[in-house]
Amino acid sequence: MSQTNETFNPLDPTGMLKSMRDASLDAWSKTMIQFVNTEVYSQATGALLDAWLANSDPFRKLLEKTMTQALTSLNLPTRDDVTRLAERLTQVEMRLDDLDAKLDKLPRAARRGPAVSGSKAHTEEKS
Amino acid sequence: MSDTQARTSTATDGGAEALKTSKNLQTFRRLLTTDARIAQTPKEVVWTLNKAKLYRYIPVVPEPQRKKLPLFMVFAIMNRPHVLDLRPGHSFVEYMLKHGYDLYLLDWGAPGPEDSQLKFDDYVLDYLPRAIRKFKSVADCDEFSMLGWCLGALISTLYATLRPNDGLKNLLLLTAPLDFSNKTSSGFSLWTNAPTFNPDRVVDSFGNVPGELIDTGAKMLKPVENYLGTYLNLWENIDNPKVVESWHAMNTWVRDIIPMAGEAYRQLINEFFKENRLMNGTLVLRGERVDLGKLKANLLNVIAEADHITPPCQSEGVLDKVGSQDKQVFRVRGGHIGIMAGSGAEKTTWPHIEQWLGARSG
Repeated sequence: MSQTNETFNPLDPTGMLKSMRDASLDAWSKTMIQFVNTEVYSQATGALLDAWLANSDPFRKLLEKTMTQALTSLNLPTRDDVTRLAERLTQVEMRLDDLDAKLDKLPRAARRGPAVSGSKAHTEEKS
Repeated sequence: MSDTQARTSTATDGGAEALKTSKNLQTFRRLLTTDARIAQTPKEVVWTLNKAKLYRYIPVVPEPQRKKLPLFMVFAIMNRPHVLDLRPGHSFVEYMLKHGYDLYLLDWGAPGPEDSQLKFDDYVLDYLPRAIRKFKSVADCDEFSMLGWCLGALISTLYATLRPNDGLKNLLLLTAPLDFSNKTSSGFSLWTNAPTFNPDRVVDSFGNVPGELIDTGAKMLKPVENYLGTYLNLWENIDNPKVVESWHAMNTWVRDIIPMAGEAYRQLINEFFKENRLMNGTLVLRGERVDLGKLKANLLNVIAEADHITPPCQSEGVLDKVGSQDKQVFRVRGGHIGIMAGSGAEKTTWPHIEQWLGARSG
């Protein structure tokens, strides 16, 4: 977008229009970058986001409560139930990973094993 | 030429032009609505935990010719890592494999509602050490190199600092956001430090921060380029298969957005962006204070000079704080993603990384 037309020809109206468009886009782009990097923009977007979240919060909570009540009355798991189950699964996975770590140590220990017993035997012979 | 012939010729030209425009429009629509085949380099999953997966790329160089130290790559937690392996013929992964590296990639995955409590403490002291433990076992190595990009670089730095004796020999940081002392250095710093911005409400409302919110924030840093310029650029080059293929691959990656774990987001804004705890030496993860002086690995800090997401000043300061004896900065002309995935990356960033790493992987 910011590329300039290097083969500028004043007799070529399409090329001229393109150059003008590129120049105006560049200027627009710089202005916008400067604008989004101002305190005014930062404060305005922060306030807007906060206001939107604050205002939608009661509706969101109401919807969640209604949904939870509906699912509970239908004897179906709620979002919290599924989340708790997923958390427990992750805990189980961590335990499995701990076991896997211990299993992974075995081949290394086995490789080191004969060397250790060999050196032990050697020491015993010496003594 | 007779009048009839001239009229016929004009009509033919006009028809051909209309046909071409129609074809270009179809191509344009296809590129916007379909996914390119990205991340095609063959790999296998060697470890999983929750949503996280550790991949090992299938080596292409015979074992005796491979570098001694394997490379472990960590990407950011709010994007897919496919940009490291964008498309065949233009992939950092492919490049490093050809240079004889045994390559591993940690993909954090997309957090679900059950992961909203995950913090940097969990990523740095639980997930990463477990993945590295498995990686060392599969690669059968005691020493290794690590590459972190963006927030992945922040996580890698924290790990390298807290676990300096875990075998990490070389640490490569790409566009690492570490120093937030300059509150006006980037749009993100300005926005997150505005008194009206309330990260707690964002997290309390959403749980996990939606990918769309993060994506919009990143795009608003350069609104005209991201919402208009990129599409104009595509339209103007729609006859150029190379540009089209590259644009399609990048757009596929950009569109594939994922949420960020809520507590990690809260921590990022409050403890890093606002309080700059890492550089001030006051960051504590699970009771352990993060003292950058304890980072001993050889360090290459790659900085993008035109980075609007992580401006250079957020990465530069770390070199004075770390305890590494061998530390270097490599400045590249380009943006946050462009330095690794842009058309010039293959001639500038990748060879420099490979040479630096190659000299320290023997």
